[in-house]
Amino acid sequence: MGRLSGKVAVILGASDDRSMGYATARCFIGEGAKVVIAARREGAVKALAQKLGAEGIACDITQESDLESLAAHAVKTFGKLDIAVNYAGIETGSSILDVTAEELRKSSDVHFVGTTLFIKQMARAMTGGGSIITTSSLTVLVQAPGFASYAGAKGGADVVARIAANELGEKGIRVNSIAPGFTKSAMTEAYFASDVVRNAFLKEMPLGRFSTVEDVAETALWLASDEAFVTGQRIDVTAGQALRRVPLASEYV
Amino acid sequence: MGRLEGKCALVVGAAGKGNMGQVIARRFAAEGAKVAVAGRKMDPLNELASDIGGVAIECEFTDRESIFAMVDQATDAMGRLDIAVNATGWGLLKPFLETTDEDFDRMVALQLRGPFQFLQALIPVMERNRGGSIIQISSATATIMFHDHSAYMATKAGTDHMIRTIANEFGAAGIRANSVSPGVTETPMTADASAVPGLMDAFKKGYPLGRYGTSEDIAAACVFLASDECFMTGENLQVNGGLTLRGNPSKADIEASVAAAMAGAS
Repeated sequence: MGRLSGKVAVILGASDDRSMGYATARCFIGEGAKVVIAARREGAVKALAQKLGAEGIACDITQESDLESLAAHAVKTFGKLDIAVNYAGIETGSSILDVTAEELRKSSDVHFVGTTLFIKQMARAMTGGGSIITTSSLTVLVQAPGFASYAGAKGGADVVARIAANELGEKGIRVNSIAPGFTKSAMTEAYFASDVVRNAFLKEMPLGRFSTVEDVAETALWLASDEAFVTGQRIDVTAGQALRRVPLASEYV
Repeated sequence: MGRLEGKCALVVGAAGKGNMGQVIARRFAAEGAKVAVAGRKMDPLNELASDIGGVAIECEFTDRESIFAMVDQATDAMGRLDIAVNATGWGLLKPFLETTDEDFDRMVALQLRGPFQFLQALIPVMERNRGGSIIQISSATATIMFHDHSAYMATKAGTDHMIRTIANEFGAAGIRANSVSPGVTETPMTADASAVPGLMDAFKKGYPLGRYGTSEDIAAACVFLASDECFMTGENLQVNGGLTLRGNPSKADIEASVAAAMAGAS
């Protein structure tokens, strides 16, 4: 008997087989859930869904109608929606002296507006309670130079998640976020190629290793299950790096 | 296959029938862990230990020697220690100006010095094991307000920060350390309060999920924190249905709720 037997889950941001979305989908399916994965590129998501034994659908988080269709697809295919996880993210960054309105809007569209509308559309489709999980970041917890557009929007989304938790509790819907540390995925691969960068980060992690997409998936599993009497929280999975700091670029460039 | 199969756990604060420590110990055992249970009264400990095939150890958590002896005894009995939970506590509710030095010293001994010494005893044992998970039961009131509870709240908040220092300093040894914050929970510690009509109702509106917590909720969180699937350290986990988003009732709210319940009952 799996820990998510009988549950239906939507996972947005499962774009390739090294992503948090993919690891989470695999973990949820292993625990008995029926899963719909989604990402922007239809071909990639369909292929990934086939590999997983999941449903796959294209979804751009910046389009509210896509989010509505995503929730509707889960309900139409599997009869209901219990769990919704959003990993959709883009990499943005510049110093404060160079940041542009365009960059801020781009990050905000995905991380703030997108996350907020994701919570809205998923909650509307959850008629029997549920668990919504969004993705925060280590950079919301410790100040990372160059991350104003990224962390600013993610931090705003965390506040929205807490407000949503307060509003949606009476419908039996829990809303939480996960703040991963520096995790190896397609988005961060370039950083991991350099020993200097890796070591600069590693020495700021009390547990002495990078978090993995599986660590994030297992945290999502706990939050998604009926075992978590937790709402409106940010769960930090940063190897303890939230206790220390993010190295300055001058330490690794 | 249990989620804690092959692990050895010590739960201190498990000498009260049906208390949070006992519920945690039973859940750990159900997940496949070997469990040592400790506290001040041997009868309930022996009964629990025989139910779960565990070990019962007497411990006075305000006494350094007793704490170190408990950790030694648990390690000797089970061969190792992977998980340690401190579920001791003293829910003193007393107006700030009436709290005596004796009250305060006793609170510090149990809720601040005891955890400090417990960590000093545990860490060398867990270093030899190449790791472990330490769980401190804290309280939502270490973050949010409640009346007449200052000594309790201050020591709980202090212990949360202590846990962060352990996570920072001993993470390299594979030791994770976290705290769990329940809200108001129906336990033997709150039995007297639950008996007063209307009292517990005053708390309910502070819970977005529409109910307050149970010891089972806390035990479930402890299983997650204790298991290998958890990569969290140095965190304070709020397991209270969103209470920290709203807050506890004031003293006046509680009095009004009790008065209304009494009037309705008469």
